[in-house]
Amino acid sequence: MSDLFANLGLGFAVALSLQNLALCFMGCLVGTLIGVLPGVGPIATIAMLLPITFGLDPVGALIMLAGIYYGAQYGGSTTAILVNIPGEATSVVTTLDGHQMARQGRAGIALGIAAIGSFFAGTVATLLIAALGAPLTRLALVFGPAEYFALMVMGLVFAVVLARGSILKAVAMILIGILLASIGTDLETGQDRMTFGFAFLTDGIDFSVLAMGLFGVAEILRNLDQSETRDVVRQRIGRLLPGLTDLRQAAGPVLRGTAIGSILGILPGNGAVLGPFAAYSVEKRLARDPRRFGQGAIEGVAGPESANNAGAQTSFIPLLTLGIPPNAVMALMVGAMTIHGIVPGPGVMTKNPNLFWGMIASMWLGNLMLLVINLPLVGIWVSLLKVPYRLMFPAILMFCAIGIYSINATPTDVMLIGAFGLCGYLLIKFGFEPAPLLLGFVLGRLMEEYLRRALTLSRGDPMVFLERPVSAVLFAVSAVLLVAALMPALRRSRDEVFTEA
Amino acid sequence: MKDATTRTVRSLCLALTATLGLAGHARADAFPQRPITMVVPFAAGGPTDVIARIVAEHMSRSLGQQVVIENVTGAGGTTGITRASQAAPDGYTVMMGHMGTHGAAPALFKGLRYDPAKSFDPIGLAAGTPIVIVARKDFAAPDLKAFIAAVKSGGTSINQAHAGVGSVSHSTGILFDAKTGAKPTLVVYRGTGPALNDLMAGQVDFMTDQIVNVAPQITGGTIKAYAIATPERSTVLPDVPTTKEAGLDDYEVSAWNAVFAPKGLPKEVGAKLEAALGKALEDETTRKRILDLGGTVPGSGERGPAALQRLVESEVARWTPVLRAAADGTP
Amino acid sequence: MDEPLHGSGHTRIRGPQPLAAGLGLVGLGLLGVWAGSDLPQGSMRAMGPGFLPRWLSVGITLCGLALAASGLLRDGQRLPSIALRGPAVVMLAILAFALTIRPVAVGPLTTPGLGLIVAGPLAILLAGYASPEARFRELVILALFLTAGCMLLFGDLLNLPIPIFPAFVLEALSGSVSPRLLLRAVAAGLGLTGLGLLAIGRGTRRRAVDVVPHSITT
Repeated sequence: MSDLFANLGLGFAVALSLQNLALCFMGCLVGTLIGVLPGVGPIATIAMLLPITFGLDPVGALIMLAGIYYGAQYGGSTTAILVNIPGEATSVVTTLDGHQMARQGRAGIALGIAAIGSFFAGTVATLLIAALGAPLTRLALVFGPAEYFALMVMGLVFAVVLARGSILKAVAMILIGILLASIGTDLETGQDRMTFGFAFLTDGIDFSVLAMGLFGVAEILRNLDQSETRDVVRQRIGRLLPGLTDLRQAAGPVLRGTAIGSILGILPGNGAVLGPFAAYSVEKRLARDPRRFGQGAIEGVAGPESANNAGAQTSFIPLLTLGIPPNAVMALMVGAMTIHGIVPGPGVMTKNPNLFWGMIASMWLGNLMLLVINLPLVGIWVSLLKVPYRLMFPAILMFCAIGIYSINATPTDVMLIGAFGLCGYLLIKFGFEPAPLLLGFVLGRLMEEYLRRALTLSRGDPMVFLERPVSAVLFAVSAVLLVAALMPALRRSRDEVFTEA
Repeated sequence: MKDATTRTVRSLCLALTATLGLAGHARADAFPQRPITMVVPFAAGGPTDVIARIVAEHMSRSLGQQVVIENVTGAGGTTGITRASQAAPDGYTVMMGHMGTHGAAPALFKGLRYDPAKSFDPIGLAAGTPIVIVARKDFAAPDLKAFIAAVKSGGTSINQAHAGVGSVSHSTGILFDAKTGAKPTLVVYRGTGPALNDLMAGQVDFMTDQIVNVAPQITGGTIKAYAIATPERSTVLPDVPTTKEAGLDDYEVSAWNAVFAPKGLPKEVGAKLEAALGKALEDETTRKRILDLGGTVPGSGERGPAALQRLVESEVARWTPVLRAAADGTP
Repeated sequence: MDEPLHGSGHTRIRGPQPLAAGLGLVGLGLLGVWAGSDLPQGSMRAMGPGFLPRWLSVGITLCGLALAASGLLRDGQRLPSIALRGPAVVMLAILAFALTIRPVAVGPLTTPGLGLIVAGPLAILLAGYASPEARFRELVILALFLTAGCMLLFGDLLNLPIPIFPAFVLEALSGSVSPRLLLRAVAAGLGLTGLGLLAIGRGTRRRAVDVVPHSITT
């Protein structure tokens, strides 16, 4: 314990130097900015800023880059709430209740609770990394392909749970999501799958392209369509920041979201994407009246947002202690470190204690800065909603187009958001929800990879999923969740049949 | 009010036409006049990207214009190289090719729209990153010879990891199997990170990969290294024997990175780029950065356009039969 | 649009919306089966690339059949009304942006790469007309400000690799002006023009029409 304090002391000594504080602030500011811009993700930005960091000392450079990463996570929820565009896979669920809250004139409260929840989660996750970072990595090694497959299946069950309308339609959406994810070059054989001969499909569909189309463009089309009773935020905007009752309502979800997000973030196989979905499902199950979810329930913002930020922090654990980057941004951090002559891996903690503890301390400071940056911004964001929609949507469209173009510098991606936008519009019209599709898409690719890998390693024996204890437990939990989710639907449809008869 | 704005607009227009007029005279000036784009066909943060950024940083300084890295990923790097090969050969678009895109690709990708030996004007070799043979830390064999024997006798019960078709670990791994006669089960990963994770956890038995990716885990003791596939030992891993020392003669591979331009580059432009690359590789800090990663910096005799052209031709000749045979062997 | 058709004795199809949705899914599922039909299925031990797509497509088809059946058997919703103007115009705007931002080969033709300075305003002006409330002058001002802002934000500040100017302009200018300076100068010019238009408009503004009833202002 005294070690922990000594280490944190060292960390704060490093992070509180004037230069590092300034860099941390810069990172958080840039991160918030790009998070708010739809499409422009932390990957493109960090890659572009890498050369600038050449002149800095490595600790400062990494503090700034880390700031961009979690700053973008913060900012991403802003667009999800305000204009229904999830910038990252992790903010998909925030759109469900967050944007509903905005439509009801409670955008400020949603943004505020997201910021406060994220700050709390960030604080806890930072402490967790500091205290348990090293021992926790053992958890990462327990998870083999079979366990990850089980985890992904559990994630798909969450998608059923968070569906609002017809379960049948939700299942179809999930399947379509996985099918879309399988488009492109097959990982194992290098064969083209379902690309119809289009070169731009060989690398599959980018998440941002799909999300921007299904959520962003489709939302615009739907709003245009109902020009008389337009659904954008027209209600009077109430109080700007959450009040005491809001906070009391959100406290439980924030705590649970933090716990769920922290644990999933530690897994190097990009388990962090599941955090917000898991948190949402848990809140929906625990709620006294689950029907409020999807209609602007504050718990549906507080839980996932906390999980999201906690996962973003703890995903530094596999990077710093194992040298394994759990996602593309972390892979970029590896690059940043190697350029600065620091090779992330088991040795970082002992060889570069300044860097390791300095970064951890800076994460907490960064979270504090984000809270300070974001709370005053809430007012500005909310006032943006007063811009007439006929001017707002061309602007949103242009930001989307530029953002999407900047990911791969391919015009076909821009055309694809149009196509997906049209699909999304039709889906909404026919009563399908796009969220389960997106979740199926995110998990589908990973799920297939893990399934095939697990079966290769077990030489084709599917029993491997039940023989390994962790995987068996995860499957059991999924089964229970699925039955619990299906029961009311089955009962209801039987009731309907009876009442009709 | 109205007058004022019209006046502003008019003077702005005037300023614009003035600059446009000036431009006509400046064209004959020497290369480079504007930023140069260096296409890196792999994701930012990977070994090739890191080398490209280190080199580009110094080249920007000596050329007096920014060398901007553009990551265009996909299809084992061939997407980016294809796009860059179609750019105008004016020196403002160059690319960082590597062992895969300019050696293994013709054998792996049937519809490849460029020829590594013919579609480019080579500028020069930038760096090499040696290949290391690594295994899970509790693999019983004490040295490389015993390891090869164990892998051979284990047959398909041995699991070999690689980072996807077209990756360095894929082609070098297949070369290893071909040279030793081993027939392990191949387990595919999306990228080196997850493959290493499973290697550390003992889910798979071994793999071959670039030193940059595996050195920290080797020094940290979470995986073990049997040999490094270079003529000399690396300063980063001084305890790891070379393949020759360990008794495997025919396995020396390095994932080299080299700068190419689209075919048809004006001579003076090519010479300038070559000189800038050379200067970067002579620079102490640049060299040290590459060496610290475990990479190798080619000597001045082995990095020029002619030497690179020879390297590309010999690499294509080396990889094609091995990879074709492996592809035919699996259903 | 959402109310079910209770007691709709005169129509034979009880739930047109689920029926149509179900048939759509069946179509998609069959398309998936067809698109993946050339891929090897593999075995349990070495699952082929065609395995998952095939079973997913079958699953989608089954979901579609179930949904269509429910549309026939149970009362459901009416077919939704689908607007044409919005989607068509927005698609056109997106297409215009994609085709002008950088050179694109469409069959034998290659579009000229005109950069953000053309693609941006083009997209905004076109997209604006997706709404029946569009007003030309207002959109021009918006386009000027947004393009200037985006040039500075994406090109200058974030330094993203997005073409700002047409390639031929850059080539013509190469050497005389640094691209960054040019970018700032042009952005300033656009911004000033926008301000100018705004100022002119304030003088000659028509009343009433410009003030759309707006809940926030009331």
